[in-house]
Amino acid sequence: MSIEVKDLSFRYGKIQALDGVTVRLGEGAVGLLGPNGAGKSTLLRILLGFLVPERGEGRILDYDIRRDQAMIRRSVGYMPESDCFVAGMDAVTFTAYFGELSGMPRQEAMKRAHEVLFYVGLGEARYRLLDTYSAGMKQRLKLAQALVHDPKILFLDEPTSNLDPTGRAEVLELIRDISTHKSIQVILSSHILDDIESLCETVVILKQGRIAAEGRMDDLRAIQYNLYELRLRGEGGGFRKDLEAMGCRVEEMEDGLVKVYAAEASDPMDLFRAAARTGVQVRYFKKSQTSLEDLFAGVVGVD
Amino acid sequence: MATVREKGYSHWDGRLGERRFPCWPITRTGVQLAFKKKTFRFFFAMAYLAPFAALGGLYVSERLEDFKALVKSNKALLSIDPKYFLGFMTNWSALFGLTLVLVFAAAGLIADDLKHNSLQLYFSRPLRKRDYLAGKMAVIAFFVLALTALPYLILVVFKLIFAGNLKFLAAYPWLPLSIIGWSLLLTVFFAFYILLLSASSRSSRYVSILIFMTYLFSDALAGILWGIFNKNPFMWLFSLRANLQQAGAFLFGQKLPLAIPAGWSFAVLAGICVLSAAVLSRKIRGVEVIK
Amino acid sequence: MSAIIAAAHLSKWYGNVLGLNDVSLEIEDGITGLLGPNGAGKSTFMKLVTGQLKPNIGAVTVRGRPVWNDPAIFPEIGFCPEHDVFYEDMTGREFVAGLLRFYGYTQAEIRERTARALDLVELTADQDRLIRGYSRGMRQRIKFAQAVAHDPGIIILDEPLSGLDPLGKRKLIRLIKEFRTQGRTVLVSSHVLPEIEALTSRIVLIHQGKILAQGDISSIRKLIDSHPHQISVRSSDPRALAARFVADASVEKMTFAADGRTLVVETRDRDVFFGRLTGVVLEAGLAVDEISSPDDNLQAVFEYLVGK
Repeated sequence: MSIEVKDLSFRYGKIQALDGVTVRLGEGAVGLLGPNGAGKSTLLRILLGFLVPERGEGRILDYDIRRDQAMIRRSVGYMPESDCFVAGMDAVTFTAYFGELSGMPRQEAMKRAHEVLFYVGLGEARYRLLDTYSAGMKQRLKLAQALVHDPKILFLDEPTSNLDPTGRAEVLELIRDISTHKSIQVILSSHILDDIESLCETVVILKQGRIAAEGRMDDLRAIQYNLYELRLRGEGGGFRKDLEAMGCRVEEMEDGLVKVYAAEASDPMDLFRAAARTGVQVRYFKKSQTSLEDLFAGVVGVD
Repeated sequence: MATVREKGYSHWDGRLGERRFPCWPITRTGVQLAFKKKTFRFFFAMAYLAPFAALGGLYVSERLEDFKALVKSNKALLSIDPKYFLGFMTNWSALFGLTLVLVFAAAGLIADDLKHNSLQLYFSRPLRKRDYLAGKMAVIAFFVLALTALPYLILVVFKLIFAGNLKFLAAYPWLPLSIIGWSLLLTVFFAFYILLLSASSRSSRYVSILIFMTYLFSDALAGILWGIFNKNPFMWLFSLRANLQQAGAFLFGQKLPLAIPAGWSFAVLAGICVLSAAVLSRKIRGVEVIK
Repeated sequence: MSAIIAAAHLSKWYGNVLGLNDVSLEIEDGITGLLGPNGAGKSTFMKLVTGQLKPNIGAVTVRGRPVWNDPAIFPEIGFCPEHDVFYEDMTGREFVAGLLRFYGYTQAEIRERTARALDLVELTADQDRLIRGYSRGMRQRIKFAQAVAHDPGIIILDEPLSGLDPLGKRKLIRLIKEFRTQGRTVLVSSHVLPEIEALTSRIVLIHQGKILAQGDISSIRKLIDSHPHQISVRSSDPRALAARFVADASVEKMTFAADGRTLVVETRDRDVFFGRLTGVVLEAGLAVDEISSPDDNLQAVFEYLVGK
């Protein structure tokens, strides 16, 4: 487990920002969700080693969160949400500079800076001044400085905000690569649920300083009964009757999606058999899960 | 045996060590960024004119016979003593020149970081607040020492070379200490003073103006108050320049320009440093890195 | 269906820089998504439609009347810009009410409309706080409130969901869909394509100052010849499935995914493929987990048309 925290609490003045948060995060990318003011930033600050919790304890990468904050920061990379750079520098100098500040020797930092800049797609532009960078490039630069010292955990705060669709797709691809192939634990905080859905296996949902839901996304979204979503082409009337005769309930949504509520022990292939019998094409077939949006709404409780 | 390295990201197998001076990269970068600016380089070079003039004076005083014509009326040039050094190091244009250089080198030290939100990058590293501030102060220290201690200590050496003997040093053994002490005073004071102003705004241009204005304004204000309150010498405590010159004269063992004990000036300067430390401590809150 | 917003040969440039190049299009009522890479001309188009810019060539008309220089058109249009432009020292209520004054309502009407708009975006509790103290999400919502306070028939939204948390987005999406039910015309621009898909299936894609595509997402997808349709089937034995389709002329490419269960087929004739699929699956005795079309969405359309 790379992150294990127990009963974390923190208060800013009168506001209880975190109230008894216990969580264990291991492999796979983790999505951190929550309404504004739920305590995400406070939790991030504690995990990044900036803040000492009032109550509670934990270990990140086996370093104590109270005593070894500097060691934590050495092994952790942070990609901030807001724009940040240093004027008058080029990308290589910038990245190497922050690599050095993380504790790398100067030459090593330089070498790594070049490598990492190529990896994030800024190879061609690495000698240009940062002032000339576009929004997408600045975003990648933030990722580069978070990776230069080879962190074991990477915290990403809204990594795709302000990016156009192409940029977004590319950054998501990079993050996917990092989390699946490069054995770096990725923790992603974002309001864009599609990003979380496509990158993360585990989610942690915070609400008012407490954990509202936590676990693998597939588990959290699994529905207990058998609900299938289909799209068909062809004369659907016979298909419907057939299914109803088998004891399923069939609902058709306005955009053409067909929902089939099947009995507990039923075999999904029965649906295909019915389709073959009645001559309809099955163009889309999926076992239904709660959408992440519905899960979020249900868990955060305001709707 | 052949190996193929996969393109893309590879892990680094180096070890992250504890640097002896974690603030060194900050200082080095700050100095490099300053030297990139043309205006800075110009004023930096200009600031060396004074030491060169002093050097000239040294040379002239050694070769009095050659320069008899020149020297006729300028008795001041004749005696090379601590007062000579004091004169060059603490006169109005020396101090103003130094301020000018520092404005171009250092006004943006913290202001730019505030403006571009880079504090969050700094503090997500194992860097303590004091390392960050020490690094920034060291940038200022570099320039102050380069313009004060460095040239004038070299001048002492030159004086000995010109004279061909160590008599000068024997006569004024604590002169090098005075020079160093004065440099350190300037370093500490300016480090706190400039960083205080740099941390108070996000615009480095505004900070530059602020530095100039406070420096000049404090002088003007003191003068006005001095005039109003029956030429009370304590009014000069309002002037940064006057306090610096008073402290300088004390360190060189010369007659104090103001008719008040030197302790007062030291107290004012120290007070500004303390104020600055308090403000900096509050402004640079490592914790607020994540919004 | 008649066009509500129409542009004919619209061109705009700024000195040397081209904003829009000979754009002709018609936007009908309902929700239309506007998308394109950065610098494509989306903001230029929006500014032209809202009358903030004068076209160099051509004109934008709303319900048949040109927009430029016609103040009478402004009550009909509501605009929610991307960037924050606020008077930070005003309270939320003052801000919305202040802008309403330009439309010539009476004091009572202003109060009522302001209250309604603020209620719509759930800022009633914070209406008397200064905008300076508003969070990112609140600022976004107050911008939206001012765009709809005067009940415009046409609403133009530039990145309306940015800065909102998932619940806020959901509420705003519901609100916008309601506008459609009310018969209004909404033009929404966003970079987050799944969010546009949640709102509408009708889009306009701008690239390098020109209209690259316009219409329904699926129809556009069908027209992209250069990329055959992808169909993904996750089953107990993808290779057995592949074996049965390998002889089909309409199948262009088959790929086995890393998970060991998914087969991705590229075909130009989905009808033929789906027509056979059910029979093949049953005959081979496979258990199918999922059938989907991975590139029948807006992101794929965007990538295929705009390229990388």
